[in-house]
Amino acid sequence: MTTHLTDDDLVLHFYGEMDHATESEAVSHLAGCDECRRSYTRLQRVLAAVDAMPAPALPDAFERVVWARLESALPPRRGWLGGWLGELMVGPANLAWAAAVMLLVAGAFFAGRLTNPPTGVHTPTMASAVDIRERILLSDIGEHLDRSQAMLIELVTAEQPDGRDEVDISLDRARAEELVAANRLYRQTVSATGNSPVTQLLDELERLLVELAASPDRLPAEDMERVQQRVAAKDLLFKVRVVSTALRAKQQQQQQTTGRAGA
Amino acid sequence: MPQLDAAAVALARDGDSDAFRALVERHSRAVYRLAYRMTGSPTDAEDVVQETFLRAYRQLARFESRANFGTWVHRIAVNCSIDLIRSRPHRESAHDGADLEQFGAAMESTDATGTSPERLMLSTEVQERIGDAMSGLSRMERAAFMLRHLEGRSIDEISQSLGLKTNATKHSIFRAVRKMRAALEPFVADA
Repeated sequence: MTTHLTDDDLVLHFYGEMDHATESEAVSHLAGCDECRRSYTRLQRVLAAVDAMPAPALPDAFERVVWARLESALPPRRGWLGGWLGELMVGPANLAWAAAVMLLVAGAFFAGRLTNPPTGVHTPTMASAVDIRERILLSDIGEHLDRSQAMLIELVTAEQPDGRDEVDISLDRARAEELVAANRLYRQTVSATGNSPVTQLLDELERLLVELAASPDRLPAEDMERVQQRVAAKDLLFKVRVVSTALRAKQQQQQQTTGRAGA
Repeated sequence: MPQLDAAAVALARDGDSDAFRALVERHSRAVYRLAYRMTGSPTDAEDVVQETFLRAYRQLARFESRANFGTWVHRIAVNCSIDLIRSRPHRESAHDGADLEQFGAAMESTDATGTSPERLMLSTEVQERIGDAMSGLSRMERAAFMLRHLEGRSIDEISQSLGLKTNATKHSIFRAVRKMRAALEPFVADA
């Protein structure tokens, strides 16, 4: 190759895209031509600089935002009970879910096996102790859900103050911090009875509580909007209300039964 | 990390959403960076991240446990980026010689004398220059160049991926390199 290498030749040489014969000629030309060698060195430097291309700055909460966006789009997986959440976003399905929760909570599935799976015959004293524990637990979970519901209502109705691009969530954050430990305990207890919508609800609630507890006191308006959208998309408030109502109904039913038995 | 990923994949296959979430959280930044470099658009990059993990989720059963999840998801992200780029109309004619000269003239306005390339390589200004130069590339130029330069794909492979003729791919890469040279050569001139 007697003529100088073109810029495009140098690019092909750099990337090893020349055929064997042309490549050999280019190599020998570069060995003997200062001008082409200088040009090639500059190309190498430019392309090395490209490797230092800046990475876009991402917010700290990037992963959480990705997951929040992704989770609702994931198709249900066999054996993955988390999938039911995605199907609950339409009205009729929500109603079906609510009905299922009512049945589960009102029946023996939830309350009857919550603290003591049936393993044999109970004496009246044992049954009574189990009943008391169940009632306490039902009451505790009901109260926990009521507090969670109050927090969710404040969260979804919080408005961005005029002229500010941040929302003060210090109270919600503090409340979430208080609720998260109790929520974890209740979730673990309920999940010991088997996979139920209640476990799934507490699981979903826990994720939100954990995120809120880990958030700064002042949340950028965009992040706040995402949190609100997430609560709405998951129908969390609706589900908390349904389960809370069902638990109250179960409690009343137990109290009436106890009252009649004692009469 | 690969062992953690393998364990998470195994759990995610069995329906553990937390395990899949861990995988997403561990790899989403890298996927975003790749997607951004490929597409040049934050919005498109976000879409690519979403689509990448959706595909990964659907294909979890096909993932071989001995493979590296990061590499696997990276490959999916490249394909998602390519699909997105191919789905958009492109106008290579808008990036002809005149366009390149204009680009070069705009980039020549900065005086970069008196500073060593090593120092400049790390400077914010160079980084900004690279960013500006990259945003001056057409969608196809950018994709072809990134696939060649960062992904190490051959021109033939890139042609197939992007649905271009070999010559068109070469010229996309040549134009991209010319623009990068026009933008960066003043900074990397002989020390």
